Amino acid sequence: MSDSSANDSRVLRKFLRHKPAVVASVVIAVYGVVAFVLLVVGVITLPDTLKRVGAELQPGLSSERLPEKRLLDCEWLIDRIASLSERRNPEKALAAFSDMGVRRIADVELDELLNRIDLAWESYDELADIEDVTAAAAGTLDDPDVPPPAEVRSMLTELEKRTDALLEPMTKAEKSTRWFELLLGTDRQGRSIFYRAVYSVRVAILIGLVTALLSVTIGTLAGLAAGYFGGWVDNVVTWFYSTFASIPNIVLLILLAFMFDGGHIDGPINKVTGGLLDRLIGGRLDETLIPVYIAFTATFWIGPCRVVRGETMKIKELEYIQAATVMGFGRARILLRHVLPNVTYLMLINFSLLFIGAIKSEVILSFLGLGVKKGPSWGIMISQSKSEVINSFFWQIGTATTFMFFLVLAFNVLSDALQDVLDPKHV
Amino acid sequence: MSTSPATSTAAEVALSVRNLTTSFRTDRGIVTAVEKASFDLHRGEALGLVGESGCGKSVTSKSIMRLLPEHITRYGKDSEVMLGPDNLMGYSGRQMRDIRGNRIAMIFQEPMTALNPVFTVGWQLDEALKYHTKLGRSERKRRVIELLDMVEIPSPEKRYSEFPHQLSGGMRQRVVIAMALACEPEILIADEPTTALDVTIQAQILKLMNDLRERTGTAILLITHDLGVVAQTCDRVVVMYAGQVVEQAPVRELFHNPSHPYTRALLRSIPRSGKKERGKRLATIDGIVPSLTNMPPACRFADRCDCREDRCTAEPPHLVQLNEDRSVRCHFPVHSD
Amino acid sequence: MWSYLIRRLAYNIPVYFSILLLVMLALRVRDPVFGRLGKNATQEDITALRAELGLDRPFVYQYGDQVRQVVTFTFDEKSWDYDGQTVGEVLRRCIGPSLAITIPALILTSLLSISVSLVSAWFRGRTLDKSLVFVSVLGMSISFLVYIIFGQYFGAYRLNEYLGKDLFAIYYEPSASNATLGEFVTQVWPKYYLLPVMISVIVAMGYDTRFYRAVMVEESSRDYITTATAKGASHGKIMFVHMLKNALIPIITRVVITIPFLITGSFLLERYFGIPGMGNQLLMAVESGDFPIVQSFTAVFAAIYILSNLLTDVLYALVDPRVRLS
Repeated sequence: MSDSSANDSRVLRKFLRHKPAVVASVVIAVYGVVAFVLLVVGVITLPDTLKRVGAELQPGLSSERLPEKRLLDCEWLIDRIASLSERRNPEKALAAFSDMGVRRIADVELDELLNRIDLAWESYDELADIEDVTAAAAGTLDDPDVPPPAEVRSMLTELEKRTDALLEPMTKAEKSTRWFELLLGTDRQGRSIFYRAVYSVRVAILIGLVTALLSVTIGTLAGLAAGYFGGWVDNVVTWFYSTFASIPNIVLLILLAFMFDGGHIDGPINKVTGGLLDRLIGGRLDETLIPVYIAFTATFWIGPCRVVRGETMKIKELEYIQAATVMGFGRARILLRHVLPNVTYLMLINFSLLFIGAIKSEVILSFLGLGVKKGPSWGIMISQSKSEVINSFFWQIGTATTFMFFLVLAFNVLSDALQDVLDPKHV
Repeated sequence: MSTSPATSTAAEVALSVRNLTTSFRTDRGIVTAVEKASFDLHRGEALGLVGESGCGKSVTSKSIMRLLPEHITRYGKDSEVMLGPDNLMGYSGRQMRDIRGNRIAMIFQEPMTALNPVFTVGWQLDEALKYHTKLGRSERKRRVIELLDMVEIPSPEKRYSEFPHQLSGGMRQRVVIAMALACEPEILIADEPTTALDVTIQAQILKLMNDLRERTGTAILLITHDLGVVAQTCDRVVVMYAGQVVEQAPVRELFHNPSHPYTRALLRSIPRSGKKERGKRLATIDGIVPSLTNMPPACRFADRCDCREDRCTAEPPHLVQLNEDRSVRCHFPVHSD
Repeated sequence: MWSYLIRRLAYNIPVYFSILLLVMLALRVRDPVFGRLGKNATQEDITALRAELGLDRPFVYQYGDQVRQVVTFTFDEKSWDYDGQTVGEVLRRCIGPSLAITIPALILTSLLSISVSLVSAWFRGRTLDKSLVFVSVLGMSISFLVYIIFGQYFGAYRLNEYLGKDLFAIYYEPSASNATLGEFVTQVWPKYYLLPVMISVIVAMGYDTRFYRAVMVEESSRDYITTATAKGASHGKIMFVHMLKNALIPIITRVVITIPFLITGSFLLERYFGIPGMGNQLLMAVESGDFPIVQSFTAVFAAIYILSNLLTDVLYALVDPRVRLS
């Protein structure tokens, strides 16, 4: 087999010369590391992606907000803190405040806080009287009662200062955390877009990895068996994939989602397996990613199965396989030692293609309400940004699309390179 | 069979190739496949272009027709392909189209793939006539059937409306030949026309080509790696090695008295029959053809040559005229008279 | 040719019946009636609904009945969501809107991407070709949904704002369903369907152009192309006569491969723009647990797909003499 290792190193050299492919591999590796760190170390956890970090629809990268929006954001925060201070046990309510991410309410006596709230409201009321703060600050409002633009702007700054006084000043560490929280803005519920997008890397890599691995494994095994043994094995496999391939993807996915939906299937599974499901995942099946894995694998295994079957049938007729058979090598040995190494290139290419397929299908399924149910994913983020786009807020859709774009592009480039290097005959 | 009267050098030159250099742009930079190849093709003669695979003989023939993919092919500045008074290298695409299939035609190696699978045999033959003649539809059809008949295809009327996959390999090669002869070209380039065929069919096709040459006076440039075919068919031979012409000679002289060590080695590697040869081991040429990206700076055959001397690896040999019909590219040509 | 087609038919019919079997089994994994009525349903309600749909009969009868419905195209079970309407009536109402998206999208995408791929192959290796390939890879890396969201934003909201009138509708209006055929073609289609179709075409262009370009490049390196060139055929003749006719074979294959994507696309577009097509209807039925609709619509989708496969086989036979004469 020295010949094949020489061949491998030649292929590797050819791959390394393909510069875009090397860059793509690095990009994929970075995503992989991010996913791994999230999974193992838990820098950003699920609760992080679900909690409020500030006012809603904040633009990212500290972009300028309209004066109107600044006013609204202050109003929201003052109102929020004021309502907490009016609770029956204000100290406890105020201590539990977490609507501004890492920021805490100023550590002062309640009277002092109430005093600061009044001051802030005072400042707010002056500005609230103006019909259109944005226009007033720009000086385009033609109304003699309105103060000049420069004064409006300084009033706004004063309001923000007074609102900020309601919160405890940040330590250095908190400042940097705060920077990340607001890096790419907030969504409609005031959640950090950056946290959600990064956490979704984990979801995407998981979905891509698990479905691509499962599909390629199942498809390759079925394809090898069908191509090598022929006869009834081939008939059964061909029948299965013809059947699965003849139901439009989306319909099959919907059908499977229908099966899992609402947790109706959990009861029967637990009954049959003696509570196995409960012990394994400790919750409802449709809230995990398992239905997504199953649905994707059910549609994705067909591709690798078809090509591997074809290639195996071709390889089976080659002379050295025939020779090995004549020499009395066992079928399993021939299959594993001689046939499998010759279809690994197809497995690699298919893995890469299915990875893209899984990530993109997740978006579609999540939009239809059939995909990821708990926590964020790029699909969930894009679906949710529908109403934001109408209001010309692009931070969420832009972030999710960009994060997804580079990963999918990297895999597209990689698939092309793999095809070039490993399968030059391919169209 | 080299009985044609056209062997003398006084014969009119049909095609003259001068300093043909063809290189390709590849991932690894510029690769030169043919370097400064020069030879003449005389009217009515059959010239053999011989060499191992990868020596540049196919590229030479495709360069003459300018059939190589334009976006990666570069021809040398002083390269000339003279058809009569005109240099084809300077022709525009449109001018070249008028030449192809009309004055120079070509036969290809793989009859199985050379024909378009989705058009009928008749349609594909008709196409050449449509481009180059002013014949009407029915006249063209008559001419196509005549051509099919000429290349000895039985029941040509029936074959006219059949598709390539319905014909055997030998039959398809006859169709390809008929297609090439459709407009009675002055020059016929045959690129390994018999390699893909059975031995019996091979002989038939060669005979057919020879007969047609004698009948129509077309000059043939026969590209092959098979010296047996050359001996049977050609008047003169051009031997190529690693992108260069290494020897040129009339066929009889070349076989009896090869000058270049490579030609000699090539001749020794032909299996022969006969008492004297029985039990002898078939000679092979040691080593491999140098890769196009890594050519030896001096004589390109030096590494494999059994009469190599110091000069061979120091200084590149030039093509030297030995006499009127012979030239050789070697510092120490063999004289075994 | 006929024996070939009969062979294809004989292959596809059993496949269809096994799909039907699979679909019906999958839908019965969880109790459809219980799922619909919920936990508070009385036993009588459950029994009644089960009997109405014949779910109390052995599975073989249910399967036979579904086969009858598909073969005779009379889906006479009552929908659970639409009082008194049969599944067949709902289906007939939904088929038109779905076709009004998919058929134009398929035709436009194929024509445009084949033309662009020819341009790309013509300028193979030059800047134009390289940029077209680059753009299509970029386009392929963005989600369908993003195209739809921005398509609606720019194509409907912003454009209408700019023009000061509604060129493309933001969302489907139920009144549009009452249009006559003439009105549909001249007013309803351009207003409600053209934008979704354009989005669908733009999304598919990247994938298809890249594929067709690869096909054209592959075809252009074939021996018969060299033969044709050596014959004196012009560049145009070679591309549009020799190459294109051969390329039709992979093109037809491609069109079939894209049909599932087209269906997925129309699901998304119908959902997003509220177009009352089959995809939208099936999704609504899944949400509300309208079992008769889910079961029959799935069967119809599979039938459409199998029929398109058969159509391809006919097209193959027409294009490729090797198939036709075998």
